[in-house]
Amino acid sequence: MSILETKDVAYRYADAERDEYCLKNINFSFEKGKCYAIKGASGSGKTTLLSLISGLESKYEGQVLYNGKDIKTLNLDKYRNSDIGIVFQSYNLLPHLTAAENIMLSMDINGKKVQDKKLKAVELIEQVGLKKSLADRRVLKLSGGEQQRIAIARSLSYDPDIILADEPTGNLDTQTENDIMKIFRELADAGKCVIVVTHSENVVRHVDDVFFLNNTNLSNALT
Amino acid sequence: MYILKNAWISITRNVSRNLLIGIIVVVIAVAATIALSILNSANQIVNAYNNEYECKATIGTNRENLMKTFKKNENSSAENMINDFANLEQVSEDDINKYGNSDYVKNYYYTYSVGMNANGLSEATDHVQKETTETRTEKKTTHQAPPGGHPGQGQTTTEEETQITKTVENIKAQNGAFTVIGYNSYSSMSDFIDGNYTITSGKVTSDFTSNTCVVSEELASLNNLSVGSKITLVDPKNTSLTYELEVTGIYKENSMEAKDMGSMFSSSVNNIITNQTVCKKFLSADSSLKATVTPTFVLKDKEHAEDFANEVKAKGLNENFEVTNNLEEVVDAAKGIDNISSFAQTFLLIVLIIGAVVLFVINMINIRERKYEIGVLRTIGMSKLKVITQFMCELLIVTLLSLAIGSAIGAATSAPVANRLLESEIVNSQMQKENIDKNFGGDMGPGGPGMEAPPDEPEPEKFDGMVEMKAVEDIEAVVDFIVLAELLGIGIGLTLISSIASCIAIVRFKPLTILKERS
Repeated sequence: MSILETKDVAYRYADAERDEYCLKNINFSFEKGKCYAIKGASGSGKTTLLSLISGLESKYEGQVLYNGKDIKTLNLDKYRNSDIGIVFQSYNLLPHLTAAENIMLSMDINGKKVQDKKLKAVELIEQVGLKKSLADRRVLKLSGGEQQRIAIARSLSYDPDIILADEPTGNLDTQTENDIMKIFRELADAGKCVIVVTHSENVVRHVDDVFFLNNTNLSNALT
Repeated sequence: MYILKNAWISITRNVSRNLLIGIIVVVIAVAATIALSILNSANQIVNAYNNEYECKATIGTNRENLMKTFKKNENSSAENMINDFANLEQVSEDDINKYGNSDYVKNYYYTYSVGMNANGLSEATDHVQKETTETRTEKKTTHQAPPGGHPGQGQTTTEEETQITKTVENIKAQNGAFTVIGYNSYSSMSDFIDGNYTITSGKVTSDFTSNTCVVSEELASLNNLSVGSKITLVDPKNTSLTYELEVTGIYKENSMEAKDMGSMFSSSVNNIITNQTVCKKFLSADSSLKATVTPTFVLKDKEHAEDFANEVKAKGLNENFEVTNNLEEVVDAAKGIDNISSFAQTFLLIVLIIGAVVLFVINMINIRERKYEIGVLRTIGMSKLKVITQFMCELLIVTLLSLAIGSAIGAATSAPVANRLLESEIVNSQMQKENIDKNFGGDMGPGGPGMEAPPDEPEPEKFDGMVEMKAVEDIEAVVDFIVLAELLGIGIGLTLISSIASCIAIVRFKPLTILKERS
């Protein structure tokens, strides 16, 4: 059963010509327990598609359905802090906070009662393969790989159904890329729906389905 | 709660940014504290002035109206005018009570003035010729028409009909050579309170029913009177009626009017000051004796001086009298301090406007620097409202801490600054209190004009529903809770104004755009 579905999604930039669509006729469904990769050339609209799915951009045609509900009818703030977790290429962590504080802030925003947030943050840090001693370190003092793992840990802090990752390994070496993708694989195996936007051929080895985005069409290239 | 925690973490981890805001708020707070404390002190002094210089109204003769009436009457002569004036129907005690029963009046009192002669007491005067003779020759021209003839055809005759010689001074003698003035409380003795009269020997007794009096220095000197001497007053219309009064004090007149005018004696030289009980004795013994009752109405608010005058007219005040007041003096008294108050207000306004603009600009710059943070918070699901709340909390915490520091520095510096600016006014205010005591002859006992009655001693006797005069309060420290409350209001106001930049930015920024720019 699909947890996320796109129906005739089309998007063009506000300053674009009337028929100049960045995305058009995007119809697909994503299921729980699977890891997906979306590939495509630069400017093909990969990140844009991800921002539509994540509710960061809401001016588009068609529908994005989460559990059968159009996300435009949902509280998008709530959708982003409980139903989906987003991981960016540039990590997007708050530099004045420690690793644990970044994760705890996400829990705070979600609002679910957690007995010991710090303890849970440390557990998540260990879950993504980092030492717990890094919990109290400012994120700017962590390596790129470590920061990306913290970003993944943050996205898991409120146990969302879907993980959206936009070029999560774009700034990382191959070894770290493999480590990160292993984490995503494990999350998919644990029942989450993981969607990764990537350029990397190496990433494809870790996913269940790969989709090519060629200007205005999303085509299933590999099953 | 997490918003507050996050705000605090953000402040403590971005010290340099918040330090800049803090320094600016401290500067604003110091300037605002000084301005507010000056304003506060000025208001205290204005209140003290208002207590001291109460707006008072009285009823006096409307001379302009009287002269018009006299001029209209073709038969008027100097003699008639003086007689008419002397026989003018005075405002009665009942009238005064009627006028005093007004919403505009805080309290009222009145004094009696009665003309009396005195046995063995020489009147102080610098007129060598005591008698003034007026001679008037009146010529009358008449046309007498012959019987049956037409007018104009008659014989014209001019004849000297009358020659009037009168002694004007006789009128004065009939009314008494001395003016006996009766008061009923210290508060009604405005000449002593205002410093026109000062006791130089003895005192004004607090028993306003005793047969005592105070006399002028000149009169005492001329008649060898001293404290303890007895004088005998004689009814000018019935010499068999005499009254013995003991002199308890001797006063001198300080007014400019008394010092200037080129006369040997002061204008009050023949005034014998006593209490109303004594005056009422004169009047009850001789109903033909004329007394002038001068009321003083202490108004609740100087703004209603005109309304009160209109109300008295409406209640039937004779057109030969008018209501006058000391409004001009009251306004003049606080003019200097009002100027300082206006200056402080303008200064405060400028500081606040400049402060608000500077803070607004700094916040705008800060927000641009924090766009990324806003983008991240919005991306991970924090609502716009919560992001705005967090930013406002940060600013409020920094502002309040800076205000605390600024107000402490301001308090330390504003007290000397404000006191220096208001020095002369404060000294004046305190001196007035001391001078009133001196004017009455020093220690007036409990409830005296310048002092509060101790709680274990009985209240002094009050007359006819009047209240004793309030003492002028000392000027307290300039930075008080009012100033602090105003500063808090300013802090919150500045925070809200300068937060507008944050609010607009947070509402307008799109997280995706911000994060793309960052990437």
